[in-house]
Amino acid sequence: MTRKNDISVPEGYFQQLEQRLQTLPQREVKPTVIQRVSPWLAYAASLAVLVGLANFIFGRAAATEEDNTWDYVSYLSQSLDPDGQIELVETSDLTDEEIRSFLIASNISVEQLVSLEYEEDY
Amino acid sequence: MESPEQVFNGIVKEYSERLYWHVRRMVGSHEDADDLLQDIFLKIWTALPTFRGEAQLYTWVWRIATNESLNWLRREKLRAALRFASADDLVVQRIEADPYFNGTAAQRELAKAVARLPEKQRQVFVMRWWDELSYEQISAITGTSVGALKASYHIAQEKLKLNLSESEVSK
Repeated sequence: MTRKNDISVPEGYFQQLEQRLQTLPQREVKPTVIQRVSPWLAYAASLAVLVGLANFIFGRAAATEEDNTWDYVSYLSQSLDPDGQIELVETSDLTDEEIRSFLIASNISVEQLVSLEYEEDY
Repeated sequence: MESPEQVFNGIVKEYSERLYWHVRRMVGSHEDADDLLQDIFLKIWTALPTFRGEAQLYTWVWRIATNESLNWLRREKLRAALRFASADDLVVQRIEADPYFNGTAAQRELAKAVARLPEKQRQVFVMRWWDELSYEQISAITGTSVGALKASYHIAQEKLKLNLSESEVSK
């Protein structure tokens, strides 16, 4: 079997491609997801420090680590699913099907999910 | 001393066609390859100031292209999972519908069988069989040892033989 000549491109494609690619430096470069969310992360970190300080000063009983995690999951769930369409269950009980349904209902984009996981530095 | 734009334009001139064929083999259709190639060159332009010359330019450029192709396949997998479909089947459908595929039936079957390989095996097979890179070049690009690459290529070949003989039997 021959290795090549089984796929082709539209006529003049490579010439156009070269011209198109050479205009890229003039275009605005979009910031990465991390760069976009970093101001929000800074606010979140400041808020966390303030809450921690308030807890310490007013001697509020500390919740267990598990409770904190559960609070965070509840908060995240409310942000992604404000209408409460999805019943919240403990993470260990979640099936693939439920995770899938949750992601669909949350409307989080595939690009956001993947770019957080696979962001590469070259 | 060349400006960054001149270096970038040199990369475009030197590598755009070869990288196009690599990306096209990885993603299956002309349209997707065209979109992805633009993203890849945008990444190259953005990352150019961080290129320190420790790796060869050739290796660095290829690494970005092949990693971004793998990321594209992962995104497709996730998209497909959210639609209760198989990403491999979607790529196969695109190969079947691609108006710029003009090979024989056997070549189409091979392209479809390659699309069903696990992504790393697909990457090694594409780089070796179609891009005709040496194991040493692939090793420098992917950071995988030559021995591991040879093993992956061998396994991929065996799977393809099996897959192609099964599709032949089912006809």
